[in-house]
Amino acid sequence: MPVKISTRNIVKNYGAVEALRGVSVDVHEGEIHAICGDNGAGKSTFIKILAGVEQPDQGEITINGEARRFDSPQASLQAGIATIHQDLAVAADMSIYQNIFMGAELTRRVLGLPLLDKARMRKDALGYMGQLNPSITDMNAKVTDLSGGQRQAVAICRALRWNADIVILDEPTAALGVRETEQVLGLVRSLKAAGKTVILISHAMQDVAAVADRISILRTGENQIDLEGGELTADNLSHYILSGEVNRIH
Amino acid sequence: MSTRKVIEMYGTALAGLGLFVFLSIFANNFLSSANLFNVLKQVSFLSMLAFGFTFALITSELDLAFANVCSLAAVVIGFLISTDVAWPLAVAAGVATGFLAGLLNGLLVTVAKVPSLISTLGTASIANGLAFMITGGVAFVGRWDPNFLFLGRGKLGPIPVIILFTLVLFLIVLTLSTQTRTGVHLQATGENEEAARRSGIDTRRAKIIGLVLSGLAAGITAVFLVANLSSAAPQMAGDFLLNGIAATLLGMTMFTPAKPNILGTFVGSLIIVMLSNGLVLLGAQYYIQDIMLGIIIILSVAVSASVLKRAAFAL
Ligand SMILES: Nc1ncnc2c1ncn2[C@@H]1O[C@H](COP(=O)(O)OP(=O)(O)OP(=O)(O)O)[C@@H](O)[C@H]1O
Ligand SMILES: [Mg+2]
Repeated sequence: MPVKISTRNIVKNYGAVEALRGVSVDVHEGEIHAICGDNGAGKSTFIKILAGVEQPDQGEITINGEARRFDSPQASLQAGIATIHQDLAVAADMSIYQNIFMGAELTRRVLGLPLLDKARMRKDALGYMGQLNPSITDMNAKVTDLSGGQRQAVAICRALRWNADIVILDEPTAALGVRETEQVLGLVRSLKAAGKTVILISHAMQDVAAVADRISILRTGENQIDLEGGELTADNLSHYILSGEVNRIH
Repeated sequence: MSTRKVIEMYGTALAGLGLFVFLSIFANNFLSSANLFNVLKQVSFLSMLAFGFTFALITSELDLAFANVCSLAAVVIGFLISTDVAWPLAVAAGVATGFLAGLLNGLLVTVAKVPSLISTLGTASIANGLAFMITGGVAFVGRWDPNFLFLGRGKLGPIPVIILFTLVLFLIVLTLSTQTRTGVHLQATGENEEAARRSGIDTRRAKIIGLVLSGLAAGITAVFLVANLSSAAPQMAGDFLLNGIAATLLGMTMFTPAKPNILGTFVGSLIIVMLSNGLVLLGAQYYIQDIMLGIIIILSVAVSASVLKRAAFAL
C-alpha cells in the first residue's frame, strides 16, 4: 500500500521541554498503524500536531505525497483527518447528539433558511452509537451524565461522523471495560475494512498486537524503532518500549 | 417530567405569572391599557439590550459596556440630527457605533487576549467619555423629524411600533440562537472552547460574533430610546446595565437551566419591568428597586452559576 501520511523530523518544544525531537513516521494507506511508548514519550504531542491542535517547531507533514501545514484543527479535518484526543474534549453540558455533530451540524432549508435538522442529527447519532454502544439510546442525554466509557463512545462517534479517510485514536480504550474495549477494537478493524487509514495510540500491548499492521515506538520524543508483521507480539513490544533498543530483532 | 425538573425549567416563569396576577389584583391601574403598553415599551428597550448581553454571555464573555455604548450611540444620533444630517443616516451611524464598539470588544478579547470583564470595563469608560465629549455635557433636544420620532412613539393601530419591532426581533434572535449553526457554535464555544476548537469551530469568530451582537443590540436600542424621548444625553441608558444583566441572569433560571438563553432573557425582562412598575404603582420608595435588582442578580447566579462563573473567572 502507498504511504498515506508521512512525517519527517517533527520537532516540538514546550518551553524547555523537548516533547518531540525529530519524529519521522510513514503510515501506509488502509493500515492500522500503532504508536507506542512510555508515559511522556510524546505520543499525544505527535497526534496533536497531525490534528492541527499544536503546530510543530520544525519538520514536514505530507498527505498523499503533498506537503501540508495544519494551522488549525479545521485545516486537519478538511484534509480528511479525524482525531479522537486522549482528553476527549467533549462539552459535558451539551447533549450527546450535539457533541457528535459539533462543528458539522446538519441543516435543512426552511423558507429558504438553513436551519438545524435536529431530528436527523438525533437519528444519525443513534446510528453511529449503535455501532459502538447500542445501550445508549437517548441522544438528548447530557454527556455529563455518562460514564467514562460512554463518553469515549461519544468522542469516537464524533470522529466517525466526519467520515474521514484517516482516523486517529489516542488511547481510545484507556477508560474502558473488557466488553467496551472489544467493541472499540472491533470498530478499529471495521474502519480498516472500510478502507480507512487508522493511527492508534495505546498502552495496552495486547490490543496493539491484536489489531496493528505496523508499529512505531517513541522514546523521549524520538521514534526508535518500527516493527511490522511477525514482530508484533505483546512481549516484543513491551521489551522495546522498556529497553529502548534500536536494533531490529532479525 | 419530574416535578423537580418542571420547577427548574418553568419555576421562575410561573412566579412571573403569579406576579402578574398579584399586581392585577392589588395594584391600581396595573391592568389599564396605558400602563400595560408602558410596561411593554420598557420591556422592549430592556430586552433588546439584554438579548445582546445574552449572546455575549452564551460564548462565556461578559459585556459590561453595552449600556454606555448605547448611550454613546444615542448621542451620535442626536449630534448628527442636530447638525442637519438626514435622520436615516444618523440612525445608520448610531447602529454602526454599536457594531464597531462590539467589534472592538471582540478583537480585544480574541486578539489582544484581554479578558472581557476587563476589556469591556475599559470600553465602557471610553464610550462614556466620548459621549460626554460629543455632547459637551448637555443633552441634544430640539425639533426632530416626525418620521424619526415615529420609531419611538408611533403606533400601528393601538400597538406601539417599538413593541411590534421587539417581537419580530425576538423571533429572529430566538431562531438565530437555537436553530442555526452559528447559534450552536456560540454555545459550544461558551461551553467548552477547546472542544469546540478541536471540532473545527472557529471559536474566535464565535466570540467576536457574540460581542458584536451585543454592541449591535446597543446601537439598535439607542435609535428607539432617542426617538422615544426625543432627546439624547450621555448616560441615558445607564440604568439598563444592571437591569439588563439582571434580566439575563434571571433568564438563566428558566427553560435551559444554568445557560443564558434568549427566551429566558425575554421573560426575565418582562418580570423585572413588571416588578419595577408594580413597585411604583404600590407606592414603594424609589430605592426599593435597586435593592430588588441586587437581590435578583445574586439569587439568580446562586441558582445557576456555571457559565457566569466561567466568564467572570476567566481572568
Ligand atoms: N502543553 C504542554 N506544556 C508543557 N509541556 C507539555 C505540554 N504537553 C505535553 N508536554 C510535555 O511533553 C512531553 C510529551 O507529552 P505527551 O503528552 O505527548 O506524552 P504521551 O506520550 O502522550 O504520554 P501519555 O502516555 O502519558 O499520554 C511530556 O514531557 C509532557 O510533560
Ligand atoms: Mg498521551
